[in-house]
Amino acid sequence: MTADPLLEIRNVSKQFGATKALDSVSLTLYPGEVHALLGENGAGKSTLIKIMTGIHQPDSGEILLQGHPISLHNSAQAQKHGIAAIYQEPLVFPDLNIAENIFISHQRRNPLVRWGKLYRDAEKVLAQLGVALDVRALARGLPLAAQQTVEIAKAISMDVRVLIMDEPTASLSIHEVKQLFALVRNLRKAGVAILFISHRMDEVFEIADRVTVFRDGQFVSMAPVAEVTPERAIRDMVGREIGDIFVKEPSPRGDVILSVKALSREPRFRNINFELHAGEVLGLAGLVGAGRTDVALALFGIAPAHHGHIEYLGKEVHIHSPKQATQMGMVYVPEDRRQHGLVLPMSLMANISLPSVKNYRNQFGMVQHHKEAATAEHYRQQLSIRTSSLSMPAGKLSGGNQQKVVLSKWLNTKPRLLILDEPTRGIDVGAKQEVHRLINDLAQQGLAILMISSDLPEVLAMSDRVLVMREGQQMGIFERHEATQETIMAAAIGQSVEKPVERAAEYA
Amino acid sequence: MRRVRRLVPLQRLRELSLVLILIIVIVIFGNQIDNYYTPRTFNRISSTVALITLVAVGQTLVLLTRNVDLSVGSMVGFTAYYLGRHLSKTEDMSPMVLAAMAMGIGGAMGLINGLLVAYGRIPAIVVTLGTMAIYRGALVRYSDSKSVATRELPPWIKDLPQETLYKFGEYELRALPGIALGAVIIFFFILLYSSFGRRLYAIGSSPEAAHLAGIHAPRMVTLAFTLCGALSGLGGMVYLARFGTITVEAGRGLELQVVAAAVVGGVSITGGSGTVLGAMLGAILIGTLEQSLIRMQINEFWKDAVMGLCIIVAVSVDRILINQLTPWWSRTELQRMPEEPHAEV
Repeated sequence: MTADPLLEIRNVSKQFGATKALDSVSLTLYPGEVHALLGENGAGKSTLIKIMTGIHQPDSGEILLQGHPISLHNSAQAQKHGIAAIYQEPLVFPDLNIAENIFISHQRRNPLVRWGKLYRDAEKVLAQLGVALDVRALARGLPLAAQQTVEIAKAISMDVRVLIMDEPTASLSIHEVKQLFALVRNLRKAGVAILFISHRMDEVFEIADRVTVFRDGQFVSMAPVAEVTPERAIRDMVGREIGDIFVKEPSPRGDVILSVKALSREPRFRNINFELHAGEVLGLAGLVGAGRTDVALALFGIAPAHHGHIEYLGKEVHIHSPKQATQMGMVYVPEDRRQHGLVLPMSLMANISLPSVKNYRNQFGMVQHHKEAATAEHYRQQLSIRTSSLSMPAGKLSGGNQQKVVLSKWLNTKPRLLILDEPTRGIDVGAKQEVHRLINDLAQQGLAILMISSDLPEVLAMSDRVLVMREGQQMGIFERHEATQETIMAAAIGQSVEKPVERAAEYA
Repeated sequence: MRRVRRLVPLQRLRELSLVLILIIVIVIFGNQIDNYYTPRTFNRISSTVALITLVAVGQTLVLLTRNVDLSVGSMVGFTAYYLGRHLSKTEDMSPMVLAAMAMGIGGAMGLINGLLVAYGRIPAIVVTLGTMAIYRGALVRYSDSKSVATRELPPWIKDLPQETLYKFGEYELRALPGIALGAVIIFFFILLYSSFGRRLYAIGSSPEAAHLAGIHAPRMVTLAFTLCGALSGLGGMVYLARFGTITVEAGRGLELQVVAAAVVGGVSITGGSGTVLGAMLGAILIGTLEQSLIRMQINEFWKDAVMGLCIIVAVSVDRILINQLTPWWSRTELQRMPEEPHAEV
């Protein structure tokens, strides 16, 4: 690595509201290297990409290209400097043909399109990649791998010097990954600096020259790949401060409430097996996109599973709608409470009574507000919702209090099974602890709780058992004493550390 | 077959199917109506079609960007009245200057729409619903609710619809359809060969990808609305020439015919696909239906209902046809070349 750095990121910080997405991070890319960037969800990888491609502007810090500071105010400027990104979900124009997709950013230069030349040039670029595609065909309906190829061709056509690849292999087959890597090696030979982001350790070790790890928006480590072991990388990724987290108290494990056998909904998840008892919290861990929410949606009847069995309270059930699930005593608290959990302009009181509003009608079918108010008051005290009035619009409350309103609303339906999706995302520390305490209380009262969370300390503190998913597959279930940040993260990224991960039984 | 698929894009196929539907419609009407296949019918239909086509071309530009312009009828009405009033005061005015004036007035109104949509970030349907009423209101205020009468106009504009550009046998291409055809040809090439045109498709096809590709969408959207306004202004001149009498109601309801023409012609209401050729064919279909149903002297209410039904049928047939054909027609697989890739980047 004797060459001069191609791109230097120096002490870049970025804040969104109260969260520091990036805290003074630095990263140097040399020409002709593949630099892997690792980190779990929320480590700041996406924010860094967006800053490098000019979508976000950093609050402080600078970016240097070949020693000269550059400012990137939009993606056109980034492209002009030869910085391009390829995303996990390729962003093609479905109504344009492949040749146009490849050269879309070139059009500014010539006001007229010369179709013959465009097609020939596109074929030439694709030939460089060693692929043949009908460049006249519309991009609509192209398989994902082909779309990705188009994106790479686009980057190459722009004389890319820095290529960012954000989980490019996530939806590719093994053969396609091989092809992609051959391509990446060629680009490396040509002196392109590649920032390679992937959760697949084996790929990182196969292709990368150096490895950088981010955690919670901060730089943790950087080392040549030869000095990095999977164990070390995982430790760096997860070594998060546990702090003052509320730890769930042991609760008696009751009857089996929910039993799931070989549940599948391709391509989201397959062969999921678990049992959930009354009074138990089952943590559902994994990276974003592992299919955790899809399992929840299947259980709740929003996107039902295609195969497999669900037994609920000892009886086999087929759940096809959320209404049916609610009537059976299941409750799903979605991740995005502002979008899916609450009717923001409606009062707190009306939000709480919404799912069970039938019980509040008088003989004329009119809603009795004093009864609603009584219920709301009950939950306000029990969950200590801080609000000046019960008729306050739900949208005006803080995140933590909103989450408590969502929980009140569903607890009021007297559920047996509670599915929580990222229950404390975007909530401040104090309110987080209250929500944790509440989850604990509910478990003590005998509710069965399935908790999806990307916050590892939370998963470890609150769960009796932890089910880890990776790319739609169940990687194993860990008892409380087996679960550590390292074992769970290792399973989530498909790497075994010390204890070999027990594979989910005989999946086909 | 593979060759045919390669050389004939799906869009052309869609247009061919529309031509087929059109022929069927004409044959049906020809059987129902005496003396249908006459130059008289042709001229009557073609002057209706001219107006719809002209404005539908502008509407297509806007629709491509995933927006819609509902104020076109009001822009046509306002321009028609303004030009008529102006002509009644000043006799000697060259047609070219008048056309430029028409496009200027319409373009200014379109620019207001465009700025509000692109930079004000207000949904197009809200903006143009508002300006539809505002431009109409401006017309009422400016005209003091009086009309322009045919006798006030100079002879040349009254004679414009009879002006013949080209004769084939008994059938003649007259000036108004000629203007519309000119607009179609110009914008057909702009959309196909200019980078402005291609970027309109890109924006409507995937706004997110367009943003990441560094396309400045607001400028394109503003331009599309301005051009739509300018074409509506020209439509106002056509309207004046054709009808002579301009009331405050001029052009009311035109927006629906225009949007219908574009959609029947295969322009996607969600942006990103469609051509002005398709829009023209859609306009011809709608104009033919309207004029032929008038000839059949059916009750006004039934005429509208039959037209509505025909539009739904035409669009559904097109949808089904295209949905069936798409996977088969534009089938394309990623083929790896056998040898190892040699990149010379």
